[in-house]
Amino acid sequence: MFSSSIISYVIAIIAFLLHTSAYGQDRTINAEINPGCNNCSLESTLVYIRAEGQTDTIHQIYEYNDLGDKGRMDEKSWIHSQSLKRVTWELKEQIITEKEAMVRLHGTMHHNRSRDIIDVKLDLLPYKDYATELPHLIHTANSTLVDISLVNLTTSRYYNSSRFALHLVLVSTDPATDTMHNVMRKSLDDEHTPGVFEIIEIKTPASLSSEMGGFVQFRPVGYTQHERNVGSSTIAHVSDFNRTSLPDWSTLKTFYKGFDEGNLLVQDMVVCFGEPGDGFYKRYNYTAWSYTIGYGAPPMEGFSLFVIVIISVGLGVPVLLALSGVLYAVRRKYRHNPPTRLINED
Amino acid sequence: MRSVQLSPDSWWHPANKVHRFLALLLMCFLCFGSYFCYDTPGALADNFKGDSHLNTSQFALLYSIYSWPNVILCFIGGYLIDSIGGESLQVAVNSYVVLWFKGKELNMVFGLQLSFSRFGSTVNFWVMEPIYRWVANYYGGYERLGVALFIASFTCVGSLICGLILGWMDYRAEKMLGRHEEQSDAEPFRLLDILHFKRVFWLVSVICVAYYLAIFPFIALGKLFFERKFDFSPQDANTVNSMVYLLSAALSPFFGILIDKTGRNVMWVIISTITTIGSHFLLAFTFVNPYVGVMSLGISYSLLASGLWPLVALIVPKNQLGTAYGICQAVQNLGLATVLILAGVIVDKYGYLMLEMFFLGCLFISLIAAVLIYIVDSANNGVLNMSPSMRESMTDTSECRDETANLLEHEDSSDQEVTDSRDRPDPKEPQRDFTQSQSDRIRSRYIAQLLPNTNIPDRQ
Repeated sequence: MFSSSIISYVIAIIAFLLHTSAYGQDRTINAEINPGCNNCSLESTLVYIRAEGQTDTIHQIYEYNDLGDKGRMDEKSWIHSQSLKRVTWELKEQIITEKEAMVRLHGTMHHNRSRDIIDVKLDLLPYKDYATELPHLIHTANSTLVDISLVNLTTSRYYNSSRFALHLVLVSTDPATDTMHNVMRKSLDDEHTPGVFEIIEIKTPASLSSEMGGFVQFRPVGYTQHERNVGSSTIAHVSDFNRTSLPDWSTLKTFYKGFDEGNLLVQDMVVCFGEPGDGFYKRYNYTAWSYTIGYGAPPMEGFSLFVIVIISVGLGVPVLLALSGVLYAVRRKYRHNPPTRLINED
Repeated sequence: MRSVQLSPDSWWHPANKVHRFLALLLMCFLCFGSYFCYDTPGALADNFKGDSHLNTSQFALLYSIYSWPNVILCFIGGYLIDSIGGESLQVAVNSYVVLWFKGKELNMVFGLQLSFSRFGSTVNFWVMEPIYRWVANYYGGYERLGVALFIASFTCVGSLICGLILGWMDYRAEKMLGRHEEQSDAEPFRLLDILHFKRVFWLVSVICVAYYLAIFPFIALGKLFFERKFDFSPQDANTVNSMVYLLSAALSPFFGILIDKTGRNVMWVIISTITTIGSHFLLAFTFVNPYVGVMSLGISYSLLASGLWPLVALIVPKNQLGTAYGICQAVQNLGLATVLILAGVIVDKYGYLMLEMFFLGCLFISLIAAVLIYIVDSANNGVLNMSPSMRESMTDTSECRDETANLLEHEDSSDQEVTDSRDRPDPKEPQRDFTQSQSDRIRSRYIAQLLPNTNIPDRQ
């Protein structure tokens, strides 16, 4: 009963209008902020990114505005959902070039005198590589890095062991009777994300069957301090999917206006952070999480050349040396009489 | 001083069994207290960081500062023992052990002592957290940390009291039984003589560093590894992590006996290095339950320690032994202090797989060194890899080559040293007692080295 949580909402859209058959190639991107809107305030930001490939065009649209909805994390835990209606969004940083489209937004909640900040960063780099920052997720031309930090959020006065969780709504144009899929892969290699051996992919039915649908990819890890390293990492837990409907007054509602809502697959899930004995959110007043959202086949991570070289040199050379040492010893033993023969030992 | 009128049957007489076991109890608590105290910051790592507002790297730095004195003091201490006969805690304890016990009891006594030391470290990890929480009821902030550390330091005072009582008992026994210390007539040892240490000795010190690097930093960083890779709860991860210590506490006496009976130290060192490589391989490249890997790691580690440290006593002349052990432990501490920081950087930059690769690299270096020792030794009569009976018959031959000479010397001196107040060696079994005393002598030296400092934070 103490592991209570407050749920904030960040709504992710998994919906792509155009199908594509070419993945992974580098692209040139065109990005505009609030296209065609001359008198938009900074409170509502719409990033329009047009990514041009050889055979297809992908439209990805994000809008950040005050969105609110309800969700449940665990039947047993006390949950307080925090409305984001009073959040004011502010564009803090932007890079719009042919090789990168990045925006960073600060959502500020005013709780009495404290400044609660939801920091959201979207980054589209139209080529395949590992992100520079931990957890070093793979970005491609078909996917965007999303980074969410909850900084100095005011915890409820009634809970003394608060943690924050993110409530995600997943929407796809797949049949409403189908379901999203949570695919976890475990590897021996934690080179790219030290201390994390799993990667989780949330796939739409179309993505699972034919790799022609949306996906969300992330590592089950969050960070409790601004400086990200193994020591500041914490576990990100993912809930099961729940069927739900499109939230009212949301971007999703606007985006899917042209669709019959009864035929949309709408599910939600909760991502919460922490592990036993970590001192809860209040210890560092910081929780950060990253995921990529994209279209097509999720990128696979592999051994880097560095690791391959280290493993082959590290294992090969010593084994050879040790073998030759043993061979030398054996040969020596047979060539000369061993010293033991000199001594009378029965 | 009270005159010596006690009958040897009285329990208060130094030769009486009860009296000697009282001494044993004091020796054990002497070790327990000091190891308990050494490991306290490791057990309270998280609270340390929180209360003193240290981040992980600052804490790691604090820890390595804390182990730097060991690097220098080991060397100086070893040199002092050789040159002016000063005594460090462990060497003092060990000579007490040899003076008060011998023969069959000795193995058990050494075993108990080692177990108590390891037990001191383990109990520390169990009780410091509750003590800290209890203190937190009365104090806040940095004060509660200070008070918890202060309480822990009382075990050190307990050790001191045990040591003082033991010193008095020893003084009394010496008077009552007319025991006198062996007069060292060996030529004084000069510092520059270390340049003339044999190649084999330096190979042994390579193993001392390289092998231990794959054990202690692993334990220091292991908790998170077990939590993340094998989905263990923090508590279970701690239990797996402490298996190495527990196994070494439980097994060291038995492996000591095994090595005493079989000899062939170099072979045991090679075998245990190979099994250690196997254990790290299991942990790095499979998802097999980590208990398997960690337990075989613990067994291999105990076996290696039992085989490795007596080697130094077989290689180096007696008047240089203190310095030799001092050098071994100093380079080991130096290695541990620096590599602990390096290991943290490897994990942060390249992950646990690369850390395991690093450990495997260290182990391969130590394997190569062990194989080289075997080669150099077999070119040199193969004393290091003989069985006890072979070593024994070596002493019968008048031919005294390098290592053989050392061996002889040790056996002579150990015979004198152990021949103390009580029962003279049974004339019916001269040979047996002879080898026994030789191994006792060696064990008294190396037992101190079995217990390297484990001042390592349990999580970074």
